[in-house]
Amino acid sequence: MTESLLHREEKNENGKREISYLEAVREAMVQEMRRDPQVFLMGEDVGVYGGAFGVSRGMLEEFGPARVRETPISEAAIAGAATGAALMGMRPIAEIMFMDFITISMNQLVNQAAKIHFMFGGKASIPLVIRTPAGSGTGAAAQHCQSLEAWFMNVPGIKVVTPATPYDVKGLLIASIRDNNPVIFVEHKLLYRTKGSVPREPYTIPLGKAEVKREGRDLTVVAYSIMVPRALEAAEQLSAEGIELEVVDPRSLKPLDRETIVRSVCKTGRALIVHEAPVTGGVGGELAAVIADSEAFDFLDAPIRRLAGRDVPIPYNRTLERAAVPQVEDIVAAARALAQEGT
Amino acid sequence: MQSIYKKGHSDGAPSRFKKGRSDGTATEVIMPKVDMVMDEGAFVEWLKEEGDHVKKGEPLFIILTDKANIEIEAPADGILAGVKAQPGDTIPVAAVIAHILEPGEELPAGVKARPTVAPRADAPSDDGTAPPSKLAPSTAEGAEPGKGKVRATPVARRMAAEMGIDLAQVTGRGPRGRIHKADVLAFARQQQGTVHPVEAAAPVAPVLDVPLPDARKKEVVPLTGPRKIIADRMTYSAFTAPHITLSLRVDMSEAGRLRGRLIEPLEAKTGQRLSFTAILARAVATVLPRHPYLNASLGGEKIILWDDVHLGIAMSVEDYLIVPVIREAQDKNLEHIVAELGDLTERARARHLTPGEMSGSTFTISNLGMFGIESFTAIINPPESAILAVGKIVDTPVGGEGEIVLRPMMNLTMCVDHRIVDGAAAARFLAELKTTLENPYLLI
Repeated sequence: MTESLLHREEKNENGKREISYLEAVREAMVQEMRRDPQVFLMGEDVGVYGGAFGVSRGMLEEFGPARVRETPISEAAIAGAATGAALMGMRPIAEIMFMDFITISMNQLVNQAAKIHFMFGGKASIPLVIRTPAGSGTGAAAQHCQSLEAWFMNVPGIKVVTPATPYDVKGLLIASIRDNNPVIFVEHKLLYRTKGSVPREPYTIPLGKAEVKREGRDLTVVAYSIMVPRALEAAEQLSAEGIELEVVDPRSLKPLDRETIVRSVCKTGRALIVHEAPVTGGVGGELAAVIADSEAFDFLDAPIRRLAGRDVPIPYNRTLERAAVPQVEDIVAAARALAQEGT
Repeated sequence: MQSIYKKGHSDGAPSRFKKGRSDGTATEVIMPKVDMVMDEGAFVEWLKEEGDHVKKGEPLFIILTDKANIEIEAPADGILAGVKAQPGDTIPVAAVIAHILEPGEELPAGVKARPTVAPRADAPSDDGTAPPSKLAPSTAEGAEPGKGKVRATPVARRMAAEMGIDLAQVTGRGPRGRIHKADVLAFARQQQGTVHPVEAAAPVAPVLDVPLPDARKKEVVPLTGPRKIIADRMTYSAFTAPHITLSLRVDMSEAGRLRGRLIEPLEAKTGQRLSFTAILARAVATVLPRHPYLNASLGGEKIILWDDVHLGIAMSVEDYLIVPVIREAQDKNLEHIVAELGDLTERARARHLTPGEMSGSTFTISNLGMFGIESFTAIINPPESAILAVGKIVDTPVGGEGEIVLRPMMNLTMCVDHRIVDGAAAARFLAELKTTLENPYLLI
């Protein structure tokens, strides 16, 4: 397969190659499968159909049905087979078409994939990547819109990665494939079509390394996945009002780059945590605790606040769907209020 | 504590003016907060008198802030009544200074006209009876949990401990009186000798018993507003901080070349012309962090060394000295400084700067080169520890390598507070600043 089959390339104004988040996911898989014969892809409709979102389009043609494997509609079977393959030395990438149905694979992931390395005294490892699209905004209602990353943060032995940009998704996916542990790789449906500059050659971004996506002095916004571009847009709007947000993207939730988050909050003295998943029991609570329980405490000049999804199943109605999760205007309002508290 | 936001406000938006009672329509007139760091305001004068009919939006009274007299508009139509504030009073933000009544309406119970201080809740009223308890502010306080404990953010607590400030003395402007960092800093500034509005009531200079000259008067200008503030600050500085003055000449050949090379690209990026002041600001902001006592404030028995360089740039606007501030200048590159200085200058001329943008500097640069002044001394802008006075760049014959050559030379004169800065420390700063300006590539 030639590079041109992979995706339509565009150049940005700096002459850098721009591709979409979706194309960056595909490019990472293709490059790793070319490099390492142990890497393969499995999942529902990933072959002829190219995946529900077209992520694996063209891959069956290049790698054949043995390495791009169609599976029955059974997430338990996908996760179980992938765990077994990983145990025997393969490096599977298993796609769960919607994160909602990762529920069905939980036993295999939580009780098997996460535990084997430890229960066998380190003699076995599970180099497995579960790629799964999450999030709302597509009008797909309560059973096809969830963001369930917090569950996996609570399981030792599993890593959780939540990339926000085309550049990050490629580097993090390659790093995840090369990692010897089970990785839940959470892609966001609305990010698939976003574009950004991505180097052609393979590269890795270490898991557990946050990035400051924008520097600012007044308030730290910790956001991941779809909330990163929304926070950046909010930052742009508030900058016009003289409020400068610093946007920190942890990129991987587990391992978590505490240092970068804490350093930022030490600088700004204020923290707003933004995510799409429901607020109660969400990642935001963990991040807030990390900040409160660090040297940043002595620099806090306002309560740590969370802006997250409402505690409701995602509604089908588009207006209600939008209202259920933080939008740019919600981030603007929350950040403005927090930045001005006590000033 | 008693909230200033009372019943009758369903929109939740903080407004300066509150309906006094749910059962009446008397509108409270309060001391407004016109600046982020304002605890209290100096009352200058009423523009209406007790009993006058006022219209919503027309100027009602004047207050004095650090920088200017500000006219405050009437919050409602009605009759001005229960006037409490008198010219010269210093009044806490949100304190009620009068009411506006509808025709036929009476003042709320417990409000009496023209007391110079608000009656204490526990004091008997004039007729010897206690005021009705439902109107006494203390009832609301008694029920509030955590009463008596200081509410403060972690950083406010830490800074107060470091500065030796008792948080109980600090006014918190956060929700429910929570003390934030800005409140501690404002308190510290007061403590360090920024002239407190109450202290400002004292005469600026001792009135000497010397007869005035026998001459015809052109005009008698009252010493008020910004001029009074300048007078207070300069007097305070001149008579409390023992100034010493150092000066040297800097060869600006390379800085001139740098400016020549960067003026067009920076103008394309920022829309502002690169001035020598901007280059100087960048150089000072770069060098200053290595000389902490020159970026410091003396307060009580403590010297506070500032991490941030909040660089004040003295300017003259409509005959008043103002000092707009480039905040955290140590972290700003030349492009940022050019853009920000240009913006501050434009808005200063248009009088669009907020009081917050004209206060809080930790070091000041004053440049009179544009007037042809070759060197001068300045008075330190309190509570800073140093001020840099900059002269005109003049082609001057200087000796070097056995010959006399013409060089563009600039005089830098620095005045420092000798209580905390020694001559040698000031000299080291000035020498490093000279080296940096003569080799401005060090700024990259």
